Amino acid sequence: MLDLVANSREAAIMGLHAQLAKSPAVKDAPELLHGLLERAMLAPVCVAMDVALPHARTTAVERVVIGVARVAAPGVAFDAGHLAVRLIFMVGTPTQQVDEYLLAVAAITRLLKADGVHAGLLAAKTGAEFTALLARGAKR
Amino acid sequence: MSTAVPATRTELMQRLQRLLRWRLWIRERLQLTEWQVTLLWAALAGFLGAMSSMVFSALSEGVHEVMTGSTGGVVQAMRMLPWWGRLLVPTVGGAVAGLILLYGSRITRSQSSTDYMEAIVIGNGRVPVRSSLIKSAAALFSIGSGGSIGREGPMVQLSAVMASLIGRWRKFTGPQLRLLVACGASAGIASAYNAPIAGSFFVAEIILGSIAMESLGPLAISAVVATLTIRVVTAAQVLYQVPAFHLNSPWEMGPYVILGLLAGMVAPLFLRSLKHAEEFFVGLRLPLVARLAAGGLAVGIIAINVPQVCGNGYTVVVDILNGRLIWTVLLGIFACKWLATMSSFGSGAPGGVFTPSLFMGASLGYLFGTAVHAVWPHAGVDAGAFALVGMGAFLSAATRAPVMAVIMLFEMTLSYDIILPLMLCSVIAYYTAKGLAGESLYSAALRRKAAETPAPAIPVGRAQDLMKADPPTIPAGARFAEIAEKFLSVRVNNLYVQEEGGRFLGAVSLHDIKPYLGQPDLAELVIARDILREDFPRLGPDQSLSDVLGLFLAHGTIERLPVVVPATGALLGSVSKSDLLLALVERRKKLEPA
Repeated sequence: MLDLVANSREAAIMGLHAQLAKSPAVKDAPELLHGLLERAMLAPVCVAMDVALPHARTTAVERVVIGVARVAAPGVAFDAGHLAVRLIFMVGTPTQQVDEYLLAVAAITRLLKADGVHAGLLAAKTGAEFTALLARGAKR
Repeated sequence: MSTAVPATRTELMQRLQRLLRWRLWIRERLQLTEWQVTLLWAALAGFLGAMSSMVFSALSEGVHEVMTGSTGGVVQAMRMLPWWGRLLVPTVGGAVAGLILLYGSRITRSQSSTDYMEAIVIGNGRVPVRSSLIKSAAALFSIGSGGSIGREGPMVQLSAVMASLIGRWRKFTGPQLRLLVACGASAGIASAYNAPIAGSFFVAEIILGSIAMESLGPLAISAVVATLTIRVVTAAQVLYQVPAFHLNSPWEMGPYVILGLLAGMVAPLFLRSLKHAEEFFVGLRLPLVARLAAGGLAVGIIAINVPQVCGNGYTVVVDILNGRLIWTVLLGIFACKWLATMSSFGSGAPGGVFTPSLFMGASLGYLFGTAVHAVWPHAGVDAGAFALVGMGAFLSAATRAPVMAVIMLFEMTLSYDIILPLMLCSVIAYYTAKGLAGESLYSAALRRKAAETPAPAIPVGRAQDLMKADPPTIPAGARFAEIAEKFLSVRVNNLYVQEEGGRFLGAVSLHDIKPYLGQPDLAELVIARDILREDFPRLGPDQSLSDVLGLFLAHGTIERLPVVVPATGALLGSVSKSDLLLALVERRKKLEPA
C-alpha cells in the first residue's frame, strides 16, 4: 500500500489493517486490530527511525499475514523516538506459532538492511515497483 | 552526541548476544541436566566428607596420644600402660565424653539429636550441625581413650553434616537434600573403610532401601570422590592385608553353610545383648557423666587382663586373618570383647558398632574354622578363610544388608578367592537372622526415633510437596535483550512469564529464541509477551505425583514444570523432573510394609 495518509499511530495501524483484513487468512478482523493496537501500546514497535513493525500473536489469523505500507511524507509519529515513520510492516501470527512469528519479524528486519531496499521502498513511484523491491529483497 | 548512545547500546547488545551464543554452544555440547548437576554436588559432598573424616581421624589419634602417651595403635598403647592406667584411661575418656555431651546439650538445647539416618529416613534431610559437632567431639574421647567402639559412626555423621550444609546452602528440595545427605553418608563409609562400592551400597541397601540408579548414581560418585581424596592424601591401601585362600574342594562349602547359620543366629544375639546393656545402664539411673565413666571403667577392668578389647578391634582382626592368634586366646578375647562392646555401647559412648561387628564375625569364623579343622583335618581348611567369611556373614546378619556385606568384604581384602563361600554364607546368615525376627543394627533405633518424632516426614504425595519456590521469571514486557540476559544468569531452558500481579502467563523457551540471538534489531522490538508460549504445561499444587509424572512424560523435553494456583493463575513455584523421580523412589520405599 502506497502513500497511506494518517495523522496518528492508531490511524496508521487502522489504515493498513483495513487492507490486511481482506486476506482470507484473517478470520476475525476486529480481534486482529485489537491485538495490534494493544501490542503497540504495550511497548515500542519501531525497528528504525522511520520504520514501524506493528505485530500481534492472535487467534484472529489462520496463518502468518504480513501487510506493508508506505506513509505519505512527512510520515507519522509512532512514539517519542520515532516521529516520522514512513514504512509500516504489519504482522499477524497465530498464537501457537512462536517460531513463525520470530522468523517473520527477523526476515523483515533483514530485508530492510539489504542494499538499496529501504531507500528504494521510500522512493518507489508505483505499487508495482514497491512490490518488486519487496520481492527482490525477500529473495536476497 | 545523540547518535552515540544507540550505537553503544547496540554494541553492548551484540556483545551480550555473542556471549549468550557462546554459552549456548558450550551448553549444547556439555548439556548438563539436573541429574548431572546433582552428580556434581554429590562429588563435592564426597570431597568434603573425606576431608571431615580425615580431620576426625587425626583428632581422635591426637586425643589417643594425649591420653595414653603413645602413638601406636589402641591395643598396643593399652598394653604399654600399667594396670591402673588401663583402668583409668577409658574411665576418664568416658567421663570427658559425658561432660562434653552434658555441656554440649546446653548449647544445642534447641536442636534435636537427629543423626544422618534419621535425617534421611524419617527427617527432612537437615542434619543439625551443633549437636553433631558436640557428639563427634565426645566420640573423640570415648574412642581415643580405648572404648570398645568404632569411629566410623562419627565419621559418617560429620560427612553427612557437610552434605546437609551444601544442600541447605543451595536450597535443595526435601528429596534432593535427603539424597545429598545420603551421599555424605556414602562418602563417610567409603572414607572410613577405603571401600567406595560398599559405601554406596551401605546407604542404598540399609538407608534408602533402593538401588535405583536415580539414587545409586550420586551415591557412587560421592563414594568414589571420597575414596580418591583419602587415597591421594593418606596413600591408603587395602584395609585388611590377607594371605591368599584356596577352596580345595567343593565339599568345603558344607561347613560354610553351617557358619552362615551360626552367624545368622549369633548376630541377633549380639544386637539383643547391646540393647539389654543399654537398658541396664539406663536402669542404673546414673547421671550422664557417671554413666559414661562407668562404661569406660567396665572396659578398663576387662582391659587389665585383655587389652585387645580396646578400640574398634581392627588390629585384632588383622591378627586373626593372618593366623597370629591361637584359638584358646581368641575365645577369651571374643567373650571379653563382647562384654566390652556391651559396656561402651550400653553406657551411651558415642561411636559406631560396625567395626566391632566385623571383629565378632572374624572371631566367630576363626573359632568355627578351627573346630572344622579339628573334626575334619584331611580337608585342610584354613581357619583364616573362615574368619574372613565370618566377617561378611556376621555383618550381613547384623545390618540385614547382604549385598553390601559381600562387597565390603571383597573391597576391604581384595581377596577374590573367598567370594563363593562369602556370598553363600552372607545370604544364609541374612535369612537366618531375618527368620529369628530380630531387628537390624539400625532399624531398632530408627523405629524408636520414628515413634518419638511428632511429625515424621511423610512421603510426598502432591506437587506442592516437591515444589521449589521462586523460579526464575520475567515480566510480560521484558525485552528480548533482557530475556537473553536472564537466560545467561540462570541455568534454565524456559523462563516463566508473569504479570505484575504474579499471574502466570506462559513461558519463553530458550530453544525458540536461540536462532535469533545474532539479530540485534530484535533486541528492542520483541518483548516476552510476543514470544511466550501460553500453552506451556503447568501443575496445580494439589495434583498427585502420578499426574505430575504423566505431565512430564507427555512433555519429554521439559525438565521443570511451573506450579500454578488454578483459580487465580498465581505462580507458586516449580517442580523438577529429577525431584519427582527421587520422590517416587522414596515413596515406594516408605510405603512398603515393614
